[in-house]
Amino acid sequence: MAKKILIVDDDPDLVEAVSTILESKGYTVAAAYGGVEGLKKAKAEHPDLIVLDVMMPDKDGYAVCKELKADKKYRSIPILLLTAVVSNIPTTKYTHQMGKDTEADDYMDKPVEPGELVKRIEVLISK
Amino acid sequence: MSNLRKVLVIDDEAVIRDSCRRILASDGCEVVTAADGEEGLEAIKGDPQGLAVVLLDLKMPGMSGMQVLEAAGKFNPALLIVVITGYATVDSAVEAMKKGAYDFIAKPFTPDQLCLVVNRALEKRQLELEAEELRAEAARSLRDVATEKSKVRTIINSMSYGIVVTDREGRIVLTNPAASRMLRIESKACLEKPLSEAVGDAKLMEAVQGVVSPKKPEVTTISQEFQIGDSFIRAHTAAVKSDEAEVLGTVTVLEDMTYLLELDRMKGNFIAMVSHELRSPISAIGQNINLILDGVAGDTTEKQRHLLMRAKKRSKGLLDLIADLLEISKMEAGVTMQCKEPLQVEEVVRTVVELMEGEARTKGISLATELHHSLPPVLGDRDNLERVFTNVLSNAIKYTPAGGKVVIEVCSDGDYVKTVVKDTGIGISQEDLPRIFDKFSRIKSEKTRGIVGTGLGLFIAKGIVEAHLGSISVESEEGKGTSVTVLLPQKTG
Repeated sequence: MAKKILIVDDDPDLVEAVSTILESKGYTVAAAYGGVEGLKKAKAEHPDLIVLDVMMPDKDGYAVCKELKADKKYRSIPILLLTAVVSNIPTTKYTHQMGKDTEADDYMDKPVEPGELVKRIEVLISK
Repeated sequence: MSNLRKVLVIDDEAVIRDSCRRILASDGCEVVTAADGEEGLEAIKGDPQGLAVVLLDLKMPGMSGMQVLEAAGKFNPALLIVVITGYATVDSAVEAMKKGAYDFIAKPFTPDQLCLVVNRALEKRQLELEAEELRAEAARSLRDVATEKSKVRTIINSMSYGIVVTDREGRIVLTNPAASRMLRIESKACLEKPLSEAVGDAKLMEAVQGVVSPKKPEVTTISQEFQIGDSFIRAHTAAVKSDEAEVLGTVTVLEDMTYLLELDRMKGNFIAMVSHELRSPISAIGQNINLILDGVAGDTTEKQRHLLMRAKKRSKGLLDLIADLLEISKMEAGVTMQCKEPLQVEEVVRTVVELMEGEARTKGISLATELHHSLPPVLGDRDNLERVFTNVLSNAIKYTPAGGKVVIEVCSDGDYVKTVVKDTGIGISQEDLPRIFDKFSRIKSEKTRGIVGTGLGLFIAKGIVEAHLGSISVESEEGKGTSVTVLLPQKTG
C-alpha cells in the first residue's frame, strides 16, 4: 500500500507544489491548511509522515510538532519541518530552537528542491 | 510714608483746630480737621488706612465725642484716639479711656504738650505697624515652607515613576501613587511597615539590603526587573546617604515596563507579519519554479530551464533581502546583542567555513583556513558573529571567479583577535571602496552583472562588529583581490 503523507501549510500553492512532487513519486497525499486542522488530520488519518510548515497563523509548526511528539499514539510519526529560514543565515539559532522546542525529525528550507525532499522523506519513512 | 503721620483733629472750636494744625504741621504731621462729630466720623471712615492718630474733643454740639469714640472704635479698633477734654476732669478722661481712647490731653494745653502726646501716639502707631509687618512676614515664610514641602510632595506624587523610600531597617517611609499602583499596595497602610511585609517581593528586598550593606563597596545602585501580577517592573535601588556618607535608608525608583514590552511584542508581531506575508508568496514562486525545473510537471527545453534558473536565482535573492531586512530591523532595535558569551573566534569561523564549503566547491574555488590555536576568547553573540563571517565569506566566494582562492586566517593581534578573509577575486575599485559598508551598496560592473546580492551584507557585518566594540576594514585592488579584516576585542578579566 502506498505510504500516506500529510502536508500542513497555510499556503495552498505550497501544498499543491509539495503534493505534486510526492504524488509523482507514488505517495498518497492528505492536505491541511493550518496548524489546528493539521493536528486534527494527523490524529484522524495517522499518516506515515508529516510535512509541516513552521509559520502558520493559527498554530505554528513548532506547537503542532510538540503536541504530537508528546502523545504516545503519534510520537512515532516522522515530522519534516518546512522553514522559511534562508540558508545563508547562521544556523545555530535555528538548530538551538530545533533542539529545545521541537523534536522534529528533520527540517528543510522553503522553497524545497524536489529531489532533496523526496530523498529525505524516503530516509525518514524507512527508519 | 507721609501718611504715617497723618492726624485728624475733630473739634467744634475753630481756634483749637487751627492751632492744632499749625503746631502739628510744624512738627512734620499731615493734618486734617473736622468741625463736628459727624464730619469727623466720616473722615475716619473715609481713610481707614491712612489715619494715624485722631485728636477728639469730647464736648461738641450734636454728636458727642464719646459717641464718635464708640463708633470709631467699632469701625477700626486699631485707631489711636487721643481725647481732648475741656473739663480737665479725670472722670471723663477715664471714661473715654475705658471706651478705647489711647490717651487724653486737657485743655488748655501748650504746643509742647500736644506734640508730646501726639508723638507718643504716632510712635505707638509706628511700632504697631512694624510689629504687624513682622508678623505678616513670619506668616509668609511659614506659608512658603509649607508650600515648598507640599510642592515637593506634589511633584513626587505626580511622577509617573514609582518612588519607595525606606529607612535603614527596610521600613517604608514614603511611597507615591505610582509606586502604590505598580506594587499593588495601599500607600497609607504601608507606612512604617517593613518592606517585606508590605510588598513581599524577594528581589526588591534583596536590593534594599544590598545597598544598605553592600557586599562590595562600589555597589551604589542595584537595577533589576521583576513581575507583579501581569506588570513588568524595572527597579533601581540606591542608598540614601548623609553628608558623612552614613547610610540613612534607601530610595527605589520603579518603572513600569509593561507598556514597553507590549510595544516590543507588537513590533515583533509586525516583523513576523511582514516576514510571513512577503516570504510565503516568494517561497511559493520558488517552489513552483523548482517543480518545473525538476521535470515533475513535464519536460522542459534547455532554454526554458535556463530562464527558470534565472527566475529561481532572483527569487532566492528576494528571500535573502527579506532575511537581511529583518536582521537590520532587529539590529537597529538593539535586540540582537542579547546573549554574549565567551567565544573562540576560530571555532565560529570553522563552523561557517564548513557551511560554505559546498558553495565554494560548486563554484570551483579553493577554500583554505589558517586557524591559530589557543587564541584568547572574545565576548560575543555566536549567531551574530557567524552572520558576520558568513557575509564576508559569501562575498569572497561570490566575487571570486572559478579557479580562484579564498583564505581565512584567524590570529591574535595585540588586544584583538584578528580574522582576515583574503580572495583572488575581481576586487573593488578605489572609487567604490569608501561606499562598501553603506546600506544597499553594490558594485555594478560588467563583472558583477550576474551576481545576485542584497547590498546589505557588509552593512550588517559592520553593525554587528561595532556592537562588539570591534572594527572591520577592507583593502582591495581591482582585478587582484580583496582582503577583509575583522578585529574583535579579547575578553578581559
